[in-house]
Amino acid sequence: MSVSRGDPSSLLPQRWHSLEAREARLAWALVLPTALIVFGLVLFPAIFSVWISFRNVGLNNLNDVFNAPFVGLENYRRVFNDFAFKWQGFRNWGAAVTSIVYSFSSTALTLVIGLIAALLLNRPFRGRGLARAVFLFPYVAPIVSVAFVWRWILDPRPSGVLNDILMRLGVIDLPKAYLATRGLALLLVIVFEAWRYFPFAMLMLLARLQAVDTTLYEAAEVDGASTWQKFRYVTLPELRYVLGATFLLRLIWTFNKFDDIFLLTGGGFGTNVLPVLTYQFSFKSYDFGKGAATAMILLVMLVVFLVIYVSVVMRNAEA
Amino acid sequence: MAKRQPISDGERLTLIGHLARWITWQRFIFAVTLAFFLTSILFPFYWMASSSFKTYAEIGGRKPVYVPGALRLDAYRELFNYWRFGRNVINSVRVAVPTSLIAVILSTLGAYAVARLQFRGKEVMLNGILIVYLFPGILLIIPLFAMLARVGSTLGFEVQDNLPVLILTYLAQTLPVALYMLANYFRTIPAEIEQAALIDGCTRLGVIWRVTLPLAVPALVSVAIYTFMIAWNEFLYALVFLNDRQMFTMPIQINTIFNDPSPRPHVVMAASTIMTLPVVILFLALERFLEEGLSAGGVKG
Repeated sequence: MSVSRGDPSSLLPQRWHSLEAREARLAWALVLPTALIVFGLVLFPAIFSVWISFRNVGLNNLNDVFNAPFVGLENYRRVFNDFAFKWQGFRNWGAAVTSIVYSFSSTALTLVIGLIAALLLNRPFRGRGLARAVFLFPYVAPIVSVAFVWRWILDPRPSGVLNDILMRLGVIDLPKAYLATRGLALLLVIVFEAWRYFPFAMLMLLARLQAVDTTLYEAAEVDGASTWQKFRYVTLPELRYVLGATFLLRLIWTFNKFDDIFLLTGGGFGTNVLPVLTYQFSFKSYDFGKGAATAMILLVMLVVFLVIYVSVVMRNAEA
Repeated sequence: MAKRQPISDGERLTLIGHLARWITWQRFIFAVTLAFFLTSILFPFYWMASSSFKTYAEIGGRKPVYVPGALRLDAYRELFNYWRFGRNVINSVRVAVPTSLIAVILSTLGAYAVARLQFRGKEVMLNGILIVYLFPGILLIIPLFAMLARVGSTLGFEVQDNLPVLILTYLAQTLPVALYMLANYFRTIPAEIEQAALIDGCTRLGVIWRVTLPLAVPALVSVAIYTFMIAWNEFLYALVFLNDRQMFTMPIQINTIFNDPSPRPHVVMAASTIMTLPVVILFLALERFLEEGLSAGGVKG
């Protein structure tokens, strides 16, 4: 691009016209729409959420939210004292402890089942491609559909299909209200999570399994290793990083997850977790300040996990 | 070729013997595990589809009906006539298709810049977007709701029951992933091809349009499908932002039918089948393109 004398743009510093500067401006122009939407609708609200958690915001002043009265730590105090939140002994865990138990156990179960599935599909057999596609169904199907099918399968009436099967097999004598029994409900929600999300773990692990150097197995065979020993001393060490990363990612997503529990149990019968509690505070009792405070507590817990995880597990993995 | 002869007893024995030798403990365990996986994955889907073809009598009986007597469309009729599910399907399409198209266009531009161009603030932006990806949706919904209510009352638009508002929030959720997936793909296209076009006098935008995009079609298709699926399946934001039955997307309408005082599981299953079918078909048809995106976090959650 040539600039004639007297052109006002020539007053700009030389760098303005350099190829590099032009490319950088083009880059910003290209990124700008994405950046605006993401920062405007995610980052700004995230910061705004901190602000709301210190204010008294209800339906009455929602339209004038920027002038909501400051209440200090009152919202947090109310959350910590809420019976739905705090630990009240083994009969009633409260959402904070339930969240931790729920996300750690479903993540662990998801990984174990994902690992079994990955080992299964790592072997060549006829129809493997189709089996692999079928294995991904639970993960890609809409959450609303699969959650309601599960509820329908777990129907508490004797006509519920699981009740019928288990009664025919003689496992149970009377129909069970699976999702309306303390303990059992939490267990089934965890099983549901594993059923729905194992394909993600499977894909991550499968990709790594197929990259394992086959000579390692050959060497182990020469040394007379059994199948179990090959798995324990060759496969598992090779998978360690992927297992760690997948665990972390799934843990975060499970901890943040709202839909699954809301649709399966509505947070009842000992399955209330922090995201569902946040929803109840905000959109059932319309106490947005309290809801925002709950969400902030959730976020802080998440960050604590991350820090512990990165500093303990990752360091051990590197050693 | 030997003449066909009836199988003698001796041969039969070797057949069984052959089978017995083929079955080892390893193979047996493998077959049993595979069968277990396939049944527990497929049974819920079978139950969904088969329940949708049952009559109210079959659904409400004392014993579950494992195979419906006939392919009855009672549930579908009730779904479309009484619950007016047609408009919910249309609403979902009206949300999912624009989300997908806009996300592909915007993320293509952004991803190209990230993959090919140098600019200050790139790392900060990339990290910011990655963090955003790990943020709980429930944390954002309260401030978004309050913020959009405030902005809406100033600019004079309604936040509730406004599909474009919903599209905007879905874009915020899908753009980070889309940008990541596309940027990774663009990096695999050799820069030399583009440089050749630049030297031949193409502008940058010309290069993107004529060289990069045609090479990136598989990635574009998979990003389009992922963003479509996210918008199609999304529940929480739709639940908060939609109040009017006229505007409900499918997930919210299914939730409403489920919570109806008189339980009608066959109708819920019919609606679920309609909602699941396109996703599963898309997925089976394009599995090869899509699998890689899944492990890259295409479906967040």
